[in-house]
Amino acid sequence: MSEPTATPEPTASPEPGTSQPDSTRTGPGRLLVAIYALFALAATARAGVQIGTKFGHAPVAYLLSAFAGVVYIVATVTLAIGSPAARRIAVLSCSVELAGVLAVGTWSIADPASFPDATVWSGYGSGYGFVPLVLPVFGLLWLRHWARRAKTGERP
Amino acid sequence: MNGAVSTTIIVAGLALAGYALLMTALNKPMGYPLLAAVGVLEILLLVEVGIIVDKLADGGHPAQLPTLIGYLCATPLIPVAAAFWGMVDRSRWGPAVIAAAGIVAAVLMVRLHQIWPAIRV
Repeated sequence: MSEPTATPEPTASPEPGTSQPDSTRTGPGRLLVAIYALFALAATARAGVQIGTKFGHAPVAYLLSAFAGVVYIVATVTLAIGSPAARRIAVLSCSVELAGVLAVGTWSIADPASFPDATVWSGYGSGYGFVPLVLPVFGLLWLRHWARRAKTGERP
Repeated sequence: MNGAVSTTIIVAGLALAGYALLMTALNKPMGYPLLAAVGVLEILLLVEVGIIVDKLADGGHPAQLPTLIGYLCATPLIPVAAAFWGMVDRSRWGPAVIAAAGIVAAVLMVRLHQIWPAIRV
């Protein structure tokens, strides 16, 4: 008879840490949703203040910031919901976001005169530590992981 | 002395992030020591908000007052939200969210300084 205290406690998941998250909002998805929520707040609030106080100064930049904010809000909400329909919308919003950061990043470098004030996506998100460039890539990878799980008939 | 508080928050935020990332790497959920560390960051942030509100009450005029007020409202919510998620998610990803909150707190101090240079970092 071995000492019961010497053996590790049997837990629900045989290998700790490999237990599968059950939705796009759990596990690593929680970090993703948290950062998306932060950017949704930052971009929307910033654009709101800029449009409300000095719209004429840089209308293109402020409207793009507002658009980015809406895209971040949609991505946050759909990733947090995680149903098959929400995941399709999330794929769309992450794709729009990636296209946006690449297009606006290139545009802001090619024609700085159009951007007297920065947007979230200026310089490929350099003002935000390039997080706006990396975030949609991780979002799409995470969503692809879920699409594959759904296809192989694991849990929804 | 407001510069000292900002600097402390930056150091504390990054230290918290390092600790939380270690917990993530070790595959541990949030425990009481990590929760206490988040609490320390929250208290420091509230002190910083108090200092800035005091400066505003003394007649300080930042160029971007609405933005500053937005930061003052949003900043103290970040550790609270992170601690909440640390409690809800009993996996390594709770501490990962807390690590993000620590980094964000440090970045916000730098941003606050850019919005209103009267707040010395």
